[in-house]
Amino acid sequence: MIQKKLRIAAFNLWGGALVIAGTLTGCVQAVPQEVVEAVESIDRNLMQLRAAEIAPTDYGSFARQWVTLRARVEAEDDLIRWPWESSDLEFALRRLQEEGSRTVARLTAQQAALRHSAERQLAHIEDRMKLISVQVSAIDSRLVLGTKPVETDLLVKQARTFYEQGYYGQSLETSDRAAHNLAAQAATLSRELGRYASRDRIVQWQQMAKNTIEWSRTHRTSAIVVSKAERTLTLYKDGHKVLSYPVRLGFNGIREKRYQGDGATPEGRYRITHKRGQGQTQFYRALVLDYPNQEDRRRFVHERKTGHIPALRGIGGQIEIHGVENELMAQTLGCVMLDNPHMAFIFDRVDKGTPVTIVGALNEQNSVALALAHLSVTRDEI
Amino acid sequence: MNMHHAVLPLLCTFALLAGCAQPPTDQINAAEQAVKDAQQSGAATYVANDYAKIEGLLGALKKEVADQDAKFALLRDYGKAEQLAATAKSEAERVKTEAVTKMEEAKHAAVQAHQVAQDAVKSTLELVAKAPAGKDRAALESIKTDAEALKASLNDVQMMIDKSDYLGAQTKAQAIHEKSQTVSREIEAALAKIGKGKPTAAKKK
Repeated sequence: MIQKKLRIAAFNLWGGALVIAGTLTGCVQAVPQEVVEAVESIDRNLMQLRAAEIAPTDYGSFARQWVTLRARVEAEDDLIRWPWESSDLEFALRRLQEEGSRTVARLTAQQAALRHSAERQLAHIEDRMKLISVQVSAIDSRLVLGTKPVETDLLVKQARTFYEQGYYGQSLETSDRAAHNLAAQAATLSRELGRYASRDRIVQWQQMAKNTIEWSRTHRTSAIVVSKAERTLTLYKDGHKVLSYPVRLGFNGIREKRYQGDGATPEGRYRITHKRGQGQTQFYRALVLDYPNQEDRRRFVHERKTGHIPALRGIGGQIEIHGVENELMAQTLGCVMLDNPHMAFIFDRVDKGTPVTIVGALNEQNSVALALAHLSVTRDEI
Repeated sequence: MNMHHAVLPLLCTFALLAGCAQPPTDQINAAEQAVKDAQQSGAATYVANDYAKIEGLLGALKKEVADQDAKFALLRDYGKAEQLAATAKSEAERVKTEAVTKMEEAKHAAVQAHQVAQDAVKSTLELVAKAPAGKDRAALESIKTDAEALKASLNDVQMMIDKSDYLGAQTKAQAIHEKSQTVSREIEAALAKIGKGKPTAAKKK
C-alpha cells in the first residue's frame, strides 16, 4: 500500500516536472521577435540612406529577400517549435540581418565619402568663383563675360541646395557643371583680353607712347598718354613727364572700341579737337577727341564687312577726356574721366591739337596680364 | 468487395483533380501589370523604397511559382503564389497611388517655385527699366546683363518641368529667386545713388 502510494507520488512528480519543463522550454516561437525587429530596423536604416536610389541592386536584393521572409514569418506566426529544433526561417533572417548590416555599413561609409566629396568640391568652386569675381572686378571685365557669371552663380546655388537636401550625387554633378563654366569664363577672358599679355602688342603700344612723347619734345608742347590697364593719364611737356592722374574708363572700357554703345574706350593716336569749359559740358570740363580717326574707320568698315559688327551699329563718337558730373559716377560710356581738380589742371595745360594717345598697357606686368595669369592658374586647378 | 471497387475510381478521380493544380496565371499577370503601372507612374523615383519592395514581391512570386512548377504534378500547390500575387497587386496599386501623389506634390512645388522666380525676375527687370538713360546708366549695364541672364534661366526651369525633372526645376527656380533678389538690392542701391545726381541725356559714344 505504501509502495503504491510512493509510486503514485513519484509518477505525479515526474509528470509535473515534465509539464513545467514543457511550459518553460517548449513554447518557443518559430522565429524570435527580436530577429524580425532587427531586420525591420535595418530596412529603416537602408531607407534613410536612400539605398533604393543610390544602390538599387543591393537594396533590390535585400528587399526581395525581406518581403519573402516576412511573408513566411506571417504565415508561420502561430507555429511553435522545440528549443533544440533548428529553424531555417530564423537562420535565413539572421543571414539577411548580417547581410543587411554589412550593406548599411558600406552605404553609410559610401554616403559619408560622397558627402565629403560634394562638400569639398562645393567649397572649392565657391572659393574659385569668388576669386574670379574679384579678379574680374579688378580689371572691370564683368561685361566681357556676358551672362556666364550669373549662370555659374545659379549652378553653385543649386549645388548648395542639393547638398543641403542630402542629394550629394546631384550636388557633385552640378558643381562640376559650375566648374566647367568657371573654366569657360577664364578662357573667354583670355581670348578677349589676351592682347594685354601679348609682348608684341605691348611693344607696339610702348612705341605709340614713345612717338607721342617724342612729338611733344620735338614740338616743345604738351601731350597726353592714357594707359587703360594702369588706369592712368600722364601729361608730358617738352617730352618730359609732368604728372600722372588716375582715370576711370567706359563701363566696358577694358575692351577695344568697336562700335557705338559698346561702352569700350578706344585705343589709338588722337588729337584734341575742342576744349569745352564750364557751361559748355555737363562734365565740369571736357576735351573732345577726334575719334573716330582714319584708322578707326578702316577697322570698323573691315569688321562690318566680315560680319563682326552688327549691320545697324554705327561707329560712335564724342569720345572725351572729361571731369565728373557728380561724385557718384563710377564709369563712363567710353570716355576717359578725371576727378575735377585734376581735370582743371590738365585743361589749362593743353590746347586744340594736343596729341592724346590711348593704349592698352605700357608694362608687361600690367593689371590685366597679371589677372589673366592668375585666372589661367585657377582654370588649371579647376 | 463491391464497395471497394466503387470507391477506388472515385479516389483516383479526386487525386487527379487535386494533382492538376495550375499556376494562377491571371493573378500573376495582373500583379505584373500593376507593378509596371506603378513603375510608369514614377514609383521608382518618388517612392523608390516601396517600389523596390513590390519588385521584391514579384520576384518572390515568380520563385514560388517556379518552385511549385518543379514539383511532381500531384504535389503542386499554388495557394501561396496566389496569396503573393494578390499582395503584390494590392501593394503595387498602393505604391502607384502614392507615387502619383508625390509626383504631383513635386510638380506643384516646382511650378510654384517657378512662379515665385518669375515674379522676382519681373520685379528686377522693372527696376532695371526705371534706371535713367544717359551717362549714369553705365553703372547699371552689368546689372542689366545679370537681369537678362536670370530671365533666360527661367526658360531652363520650364524645360525641366516639361521633362518632369521637378527637383532640378525647383532648385534652379530657388537659385534664380535668390539671385534675383540680390540683383534687385544692387539696383536699388544704385538707383538710390543715382537719385542724388542729375539725370543726363544720352550721347553718342
